[in-house]
Amino acid sequence: MEMLHYDFMQRAFFAGALIALIASVLGVYLLLRRQALMADMLSHVSLAGIAAGALLHWNPTATGFAVALAGSVAVEWVRRTYKTYSEISIAIIMIGGLSSAAILMSRSNALNKSFSSYLFGSVVAVNRTELILMAAAAAVGAVFFLLLRRPLYQVTFDEDTAKTAGLPVKWLSMGFSVLTGMIVLAAMPIVGVLLVSSLIVLPASLAIRIAPSFAAAVWIAMTVALGGVFTGLTASYAFSMPPGASIAMTLLLILLAGIGAQKGFVKLGKRIHRTRDRSEKESPARIPRLSNKYSYMQSGGEEK
Amino acid sequence: MRTAESAFVRLFIKCKIYEYMERILDGLGGRLRKSAIVTGAHTVRSRLRMMRKVGVKQVQLATMREVMFGYADVPCLEDVTVDIRFGEFVAVTGPNGAAKTTLLKLMLGLLKPWSGEVRLAAKGTDGRKLVVGYVPQQIAAFNSGFPSKVLEFVLSGRFAQGSWLRRLRAEDREQAERALRQVGMWEWRNRRIGELSGGQKQRICIARVLAMEPDLLVLDEPTTGMDRDSRLGFYELMSRQVREHGRTVVMVTHGLAEAAPYLDRVIELRRKEDGGWKCCTTTSCKGHFSPAL
Repeated sequence: MEMLHYDFMQRAFFAGALIALIASVLGVYLLLRRQALMADMLSHVSLAGIAAGALLHWNPTATGFAVALAGSVAVEWVRRTYKTYSEISIAIIMIGGLSSAAILMSRSNALNKSFSSYLFGSVVAVNRTELILMAAAAAVGAVFFLLLRRPLYQVTFDEDTAKTAGLPVKWLSMGFSVLTGMIVLAAMPIVGVLLVSSLIVLPASLAIRIAPSFAAAVWIAMTVALGGVFTGLTASYAFSMPPGASIAMTLLLILLAGIGAQKGFVKLGKRIHRTRDRSEKESPARIPRLSNKYSYMQSGGEEK
Repeated sequence: MRTAESAFVRLFIKCKIYEYMERILDGLGGRLRKSAIVTGAHTVRSRLRMMRKVGVKQVQLATMREVMFGYADVPCLEDVTVDIRFGEFVAVTGPNGAAKTTLLKLMLGLLKPWSGEVRLAAKGTDGRKLVVGYVPQQIAAFNSGFPSKVLEFVLSGRFAQGSWLRRLRAEDREQAERALRQVGMWEWRNRRIGELSGGQKQRICIARVLAMEPDLLVLDEPTTGMDRDSRLGFYELMSRQVREHGRTVVMVTHGLAEAAPYLDRVIELRRKEDGGWKCCTTTSCKGHFSPAL
């Protein structure tokens, strides 16, 4: 635990915990909305913003944030216009972002070093401003997900039925995209541009596979992400590896282990529950006839 | 003598109570009074009669006037004029590609018509905001293994009522349970929805909509993948929603022969001479030409 005596490690752990908790919840929704690539795309685009900010001697975090916001609004707009081609639009915007970032980067050689920390993430890169930004993003995200968890469940399941149920789907969707932009930008200093989506996608994809219910999926994703970030940061300190890469690798290992364990359980469960399953399948699975009292009672309906 | 007297006194008291109620209702304003009276009515039919008596004009739940719509540059629906009234059981039918789903989506406001007018009543018969329950034909989330329990999913139908943050009450759970029992899926309540078969998924979607206690139920081919008994059970269930709970049901179906005894009206989409689709309202076997009231 000597590593926690260092100021920068404390900050890294604090920031990592915040981002792990909020990014994993975001990931569950993103994955179910089939927007897993969006986080990747936004990180590449905001990198261009950071590069532009550094070149113009503005606050790179602020410009990156502004560009990420613009990018998320643009994605939402494109998604609405071309519902079926969302992957293509994401790829196009991503290429634009990364190439302009690389070009802007090459203009100022002095910045090259800090850019590599943006690309791969560095605990040392977490300064006070970024920590505050991260805390703010996490707070906004927590409020968003807590207050809107029911509408979000409905919208994530199906937008059409959510709309007919009277939900402001447009605004929810837009708010969600903007929040994604915020969280991505806040997470970049920790895991880096290239691996930002690992924190969002990996815990969520394991959680969605093994969780019995939606609420459980959110909790599992949070636990996995938190475990992955803490283990990854510790490993990065112990073996002096880049933190982003070690966090991503840890999460990947957890995912593989989780899927393997699940498969094992399913095999085991098959052997044990073979008899029970059969009896369950034979129970009536029909819409009971109201006119036929016997059929209605049989399916457990109340007497009328 | 004594009994006659007491009967008179009772009548007198009753009259007084009514008088006070009238006064209170007057004080609360005309609109509230109307809705109060309407809520008191027992069945839909009597409710509708009451509504007309007290002067509530809004008997039309949905109206479409000369609506035109198309996905590409050619319109696929033309001259659509449909009225759906409160308390009707309506079927929409027509051959494949006759834009039945499009018609429903237009009615629900999910699609904007090129021209013409689509209106959905803002309030239900009880004077509260109109609650619409929609069961689409296919739901993409089912394919991606949406991690949710059946009961959790059906309970989400209750979210439509009240604030987004309200605590779920025992009543909400009861409604969800009743809805699941009505579609015969209560025993599956703890399963993940990804594990269910196509017909079962369809039915939990119907259960979720029933749990909403909607004024209007819109169902897009709800009986696809159901066996015959389930289909008949489903029509009976919907019919009861209409007759006893005062709901309005609009569903797309191909099995008109089976559903016919329960329906009030059939909307049929027919091909026009020049290739587009138009809309014909036909009566059902019940013999009402206008919507049954």
